[in-house]
Amino acid sequence: MRELFHEIASTLRTNKLRTALTGFAVSWGIFLLIALLGAGNGLMNSFMGSVADFISQNITVEGWRTSKPYAGYQEGRIIQLDQADMDYTAGEQWKGIISDISRTTGATSVSLTLDGYSVGGSLRGVMPEYQEQVKLRMSSGRFLNPDDLKERRKVVVLSTAQAKELSPKNPEAIVGKWVTAGSVSFRVIGLYNTDESNFTRLCPIPYSTYKGIYDPTDKIESISFSVTGPETLEEHKAFEEIYSSGLKARHEIAPDDNRGIWIDNGYTDNLEMTKAMRMIRTALWILGILTLISGIVGVSNIMLITVKERTHEFGIRKAIGAKPGEILKLIIAESITITAAFGYVGMFLGMVACQIMDKTVAQDAVTIGEETIRMLVNPTVGLDVALEATLLLIIAGTLAGAIPAWKAARVKPIEALRAD
Amino acid sequence: MLIELKGIHKTYDNGQPLHVLKGVDLEIEKGEFVSIMGASGSGKSTLLNILGILDNYDEGSYHLGGTLIKNLTEKQAADYRNRMIGFVFQSFNLINFKTAVENVELPLYYQGVGRKKRREMAMDYLEKLGLTQWASHFPNEMSGGQKQRVAIARALITQPQIILADEPTGALDSKTSVEVMQLLKRLNQEDGITIIVVTHEGGVANETNKIIHIKDGLIGEIEENRTHSAWQGPIMK
Repeated sequence: MRELFHEIASTLRTNKLRTALTGFAVSWGIFLLIALLGAGNGLMNSFMGSVADFISQNITVEGWRTSKPYAGYQEGRIIQLDQADMDYTAGEQWKGIISDISRTTGATSVSLTLDGYSVGGSLRGVMPEYQEQVKLRMSSGRFLNPDDLKERRKVVVLSTAQAKELSPKNPEAIVGKWVTAGSVSFRVIGLYNTDESNFTRLCPIPYSTYKGIYDPTDKIESISFSVTGPETLEEHKAFEEIYSSGLKARHEIAPDDNRGIWIDNGYTDNLEMTKAMRMIRTALWILGILTLISGIVGVSNIMLITVKERTHEFGIRKAIGAKPGEILKLIIAESITITAAFGYVGMFLGMVACQIMDKTVAQDAVTIGEETIRMLVNPTVGLDVALEATLLLIIAGTLAGAIPAWKAARVKPIEALRAD
Repeated sequence: MLIELKGIHKTYDNGQPLHVLKGVDLEIEKGEFVSIMGASGSGKSTLLNILGILDNYDEGSYHLGGTLIKNLTEKQAADYRNRMIGFVFQSFNLINFKTAVENVELPLYYQGVGRKKRREMAMDYLEKLGLTQWASHFPNEMSGGQKQRVAIARALITQPQIILADEPTGALDSKTSVEVMQLLKRLNQEDGITIIVVTHEGGVANETNKIIHIKDGLIGEIEENRTHSAWQGPIMK
């Protein structure tokens, strides 16, 4: 083995240009692959981070402005959901399909005050499931629980941003204190994070409390529930169609009016996103593999030239006693050495490039509305993927070297000696 | 008998069949210093290739040191070439990116001899041929005569049964040619090595002890040349 490496080292040393060219092809291939996958991962992480957080596995139904005149009503009528819609949703016909039904009230804007500080807030009566539906992340305290609703407790959950306004010195300490909203006082039971959320003014209070204080009617702002049964996009569309037709009939909305009833389906959003992710990932791998192929073609090309160039030398080696297997071994070992060494260099540089991306481009953020999105989040490639890609290139490089090597090993010594 | 050829036929078929050797019978004893002479196209190179197991033959039999050399696999052929035959070529055929000593030790590498032993033996042979100070030089830094002496050292290192020299002076000037022939002669006389020289030059053939003429694929006259008087022209070139 040591002899073989010595032999390879001496050939590589004397064929510097060729070695450099082959090495460049390999390094470049791996470098591009890793940089590409890193950027792709960063993009997907950013996408997942900013979008996936707001997609929950449930369906939310709200009333909306109609877009078509129907049954004597003009277009542009605002539909208001009420208890009857709640009963319809909880009805016998949806048994086994719809479950975990919850609802919210409309919102009331108030000014919250505490010890002379004040901040605007939008009180909304919700149920404990609401936290998961809109993906609120608690930074301290707790969210509403069933007892809060049962006992109509005067409790409120604030955002960390609001807490900062009301208690600038120690925002966390606001939990447990009473804040005043007009003529009513609420005890703060928890704070939700505003860093990753697009809510800042929302102040959830128990549904029953809200109804008792602000809105004694049976109006409902939104109804949320989980469904079991529909799996594919088509099945979900069909379910939405059938479900909303019942509501449209109740509220006298044109059956073909796409508005009037607004349905936010987290399941289909998720399916769509999974599909988009899969497409991005597939596209990345296709690009990556094409890049790798160009590297492999580079290696095999140079191996082919190498073998042609060295035919005479192989003839000499054969004449003085080199067996075909030894010629084969020499070329393949050389090919592996080049691809492995330069592949490693390419891999290393690729990883460095990913780190540089992480430190530069990934720190840039774009603000859309109230959301701040980093274009790339953690744009790196796992060491396992990097090693696999390098290994793949080494194997491919070996195979690429094997064909010309096999040809060289089979050339008769007299023919090889005649070659220039 | 070291070499025994019986009814060797060889036909090349490059589109059109070319019958090169038409039944060659030849015997060469151990320790002989012979030359094979013939014009180009006479079949002398083909005969040398067969003797050197670089090429196979179609009919007949070839015994080298008692072993039948026929229908060998590439692997066996390589092994026999390595152990029994030393080659000296017209164009030296040294590997350019290896130093003199690396070139000389290469046959031992293929025998699996260790690095240290190999280097030692190669240095011994270089010393024997007066090339010690050139050991770490590359072929392109040496004169033709020096290169041919490196090639001879490489041929000798495996202590082969025969040395096959194909136009060994073809690329050398007359003074160097004489030196190389004197060297071969000395190796034959002092070490008893069997040497077969293929040449088309009368002056070169005259240095050997026996001249085998080949013509149109058949062995012609075999001259005993102990007195080195076969050639009447200038000694060489």
